[in-house]
Amino acid sequence: MTKGKVAAVASAPPPKKKTSLISNMKKYWPYYVMVLPGVIFFLGFKYIPMLGSMIAFQDYSVFKGFVGSDWVGLKNFKALITYPDFIRIFTNTLVLGLCKTVLIFPIPVILSLMLNEVKNLKVKKIIQTAVYVPYFLSWVIVGGLVFDIFGVGGLFNNIRNFFGLDTLLAMQKESWFRPIYIISSIWKEAGWGTVVYLAAISGIDPSLYESSAIDGASRFARMKHITFPLIIPAVLTLFLLSIGSFLELGFEQVYNLLTPMTYSVGDIFDTYVYRVGIQQARYSFTTAVGLFQSTIGLILVLTFNKLAKKYSDDGGLW
Amino acid sequence: MKRNKLIALVLVGVMTLSALTGCSKGTGKETSEPGSTGKTEESGAEAEKTVDLEMWYINEGFLEVKKGGALYNFYKDLTGVGIVSPYVEWNGGTTYQEQLNLKIVSGEMPDIFLPVNGMEVDLVKNGALLDLTDLLPEKAPHLWESIPKEAWDVIRSYDPSGKGRIYMIPNVVDYPVSGGIIRQDWLDKLGLPMPKTQEEFVNVLRAFKTQDPNGNGQADEIPTGGRQEARWMDHLFSMYGIAMWEGNPQWDIYDGELTYSAVTKNMKDALQFMSELYKEGLMDQETLLNDKAGWEGKIASNQVGVYYHWAQTTNQKAESIYNATGAKPNLVVMPPISAPGYEGFYTEQKSKGIQWVVKNTDDQEKIDACMKVLDAYGNKDLWQKFFLGVEGMHSEMVDGKLRRLPDDKKTMENLLLQPGTDISTVESVTQLLENIRTDDTSWSVDMSVANLAKMPEYGKLIAGNGIPSSVYEGHPDIMNRTLYVEYASRIITGEYSIDKFDEFVEKWNASGGEEVTKAAREWYAKTQQ
Repeated sequence: MTKGKVAAVASAPPPKKKTSLISNMKKYWPYYVMVLPGVIFFLGFKYIPMLGSMIAFQDYSVFKGFVGSDWVGLKNFKALITYPDFIRIFTNTLVLGLCKTVLIFPIPVILSLMLNEVKNLKVKKIIQTAVYVPYFLSWVIVGGLVFDIFGVGGLFNNIRNFFGLDTLLAMQKESWFRPIYIISSIWKEAGWGTVVYLAAISGIDPSLYESSAIDGASRFARMKHITFPLIIPAVLTLFLLSIGSFLELGFEQVYNLLTPMTYSVGDIFDTYVYRVGIQQARYSFTTAVGLFQSTIGLILVLTFNKLAKKYSDDGGLW
Repeated sequence: MKRNKLIALVLVGVMTLSALTGCSKGTGKETSEPGSTGKTEESGAEAEKTVDLEMWYINEGFLEVKKGGALYNFYKDLTGVGIVSPYVEWNGGTTYQEQLNLKIVSGEMPDIFLPVNGMEVDLVKNGALLDLTDLLPEKAPHLWESIPKEAWDVIRSYDPSGKGRIYMIPNVVDYPVSGGIIRQDWLDKLGLPMPKTQEEFVNVLRAFKTQDPNGNGQADEIPTGGRQEARWMDHLFSMYGIAMWEGNPQWDIYDGELTYSAVTKNMKDALQFMSELYKEGLMDQETLLNDKAGWEGKIASNQVGVYYHWAQTTNQKAESIYNATGAKPNLVVMPPISAPGYEGFYTEQKSKGIQWVVKNTDDQEKIDACMKVLDAYGNKDLWQKFFLGVEGMHSEMVDGKLRRLPDDKKTMENLLLQPGTDISTVESVTQLLENIRTDDTSWSVDMSVANLAKMPEYGKLIAGNGIPSSVYEGHPDIMNRTLYVEYASRIITGEYSIDKFDEFVEKWNASGGEEVTKAAREWYAKTQQ
């Protein structure tokens, strides 16, 4: 089903009648014109720039340009893999990626299910607004807040001191980095993540609830047997989209929470690339790392898409 | 059906229109930005035949230098060239470097700029910088004379082609700039003498912590400390004879050979000492989390006993303490202390780095303009004027003499050319300080002048003076001192035991330190000839 929908929107003719592309275009030309800006956008801003990835295989110099720079084959990729701390940044990226998918991703789903059960509209709106707001703060601000909260004289240490515990500078403790990473992302992003799910929930046919209520289903049973199964396709889609950027954790968040004392658990590809690539203007190397991350992302998306299609009729992105 | 088609058409129309206008808005903005400087060049050239140059320099929050503004006109009078300088956030050099790279990539390199983090080597290699070797003596003789020959020789050694061409203007200084600065008024209050040994120093810190020298009834004193990445606490490293520049380990002779000071036994002992201070609470617990604003805020709020900074700006620090708390501090440079078995000193280098580079161009008019600016910059007769800046903005007339006003970022445009501090001797800087003196500031100026006068005897010129950043080539993590900062921070905070230091040295050597050391020693051997 999804297949047919997507294809119609894109370019291929509906599978039933074997009409040629040209006659199809003639017949449905307004739709083709409608899709044109999107196609131009993707070509101009996504596909053509992708050609720039070739600098990953060059010793790119700004002054020589694409054409004049020397080709070096896989040298930049080799440099990445032989980097002494490669294992460390790779593990850190994987662990944080895993935290993101396993611990952070389900929170908006749970949150939206809970929000949906709030029957007082005013209360619901207030809660929604309250959980959305942090999303609009930048990580620079949130990072500053986190540092202040965990600093000497911050909320965290005031509470510790109140209970007679010593001041603890959590931001320079290795063991605190991951919990802080997880909690701060949930605080900032989870509220916003509920938007899509709440939309999916509001699209559920109310008669389903009515009939199940007549059959004596409890509130919890309705949530479990109606709401949850019906938002699964939305969950799967979002999951697949996020798995594609499994290794791209969002530079801003980690960078703004990182200190040299937490490098051992928090130094990831993005921060490494920033430090040795962007700052030092080593563009080829940076691109090579980006390409490496994307390739792994692509493999993950393809694998999980296949799995999703296997276990759910409507699952999968394509 | 027809109606649907019509609606579809309208929608398509709206979408394409919005897409087009969206695009054109974007491009319009792009062309207007570089246009603003480009346009001024044209109109300037038409009107008075002055050439405008774009200059980039550190700007920590002052106003940009705009075409036609007060500072623009001031510079035009002094140099005969119009200078504009956009506001670029400095952020410890990080944001500046990113923005500068971006400009270079897009082919809009500023005409004259301060390079950071060794970027100049790559630029020279790519022919992006102007060869100044013959131009300087001919067209900027004042600058050529103002900077000593030895400094030019160091710059010649930076030429990656080995031909000894000059591509950079160095920053020159003939005394150690920074030292540990102690609250003499606190010492006096507690009846303690200036510490001379490490033991005395630690006892002073203990007294600062427990005896409430700032007299506010709270134990809020921070005996000493520094900033994140183990920066700005060199006074603690210096006790162990470690060559250190604002937290950046330097090269000096250890065990008879040029060595990176971070991987020496001296460093190991220093870190152990610091971890003990940290554990005892004698160092700011937030030392390794403090950013610039955080640490300077603590100093200004009358809490810090000993900190590391420039001797010649103690007056500014004193004023900020006075303005924030009403306390009139007496800040004095602490003579270097030697830890048992070591010879302590404050690191001296003849150059704080590269001050300016000039964009390579064939445009003779631009070259001449750049040389005019550099000549005026090197002209000692103008140094005072450059320092005082615009009357009514940076300085005001007091008793018939121009006096520099205290910094006010809201009203002052960013002074780009500061030859008096860039090419400095104790005398030249003292003279500049005298330009600040008013009845209100006399007490703090005296302090700076006295501190400055003592600096030469506290310093030691390190062997790695003027080492080019090219020795780090291919090893960005070593140049960034990533590994060092990580281990040093964790050892100081007690996360790692001192035994981990040996692991650090091993890792450092394995991750490129060995090659860097080799390159550094080769450079040193060459300079010794």
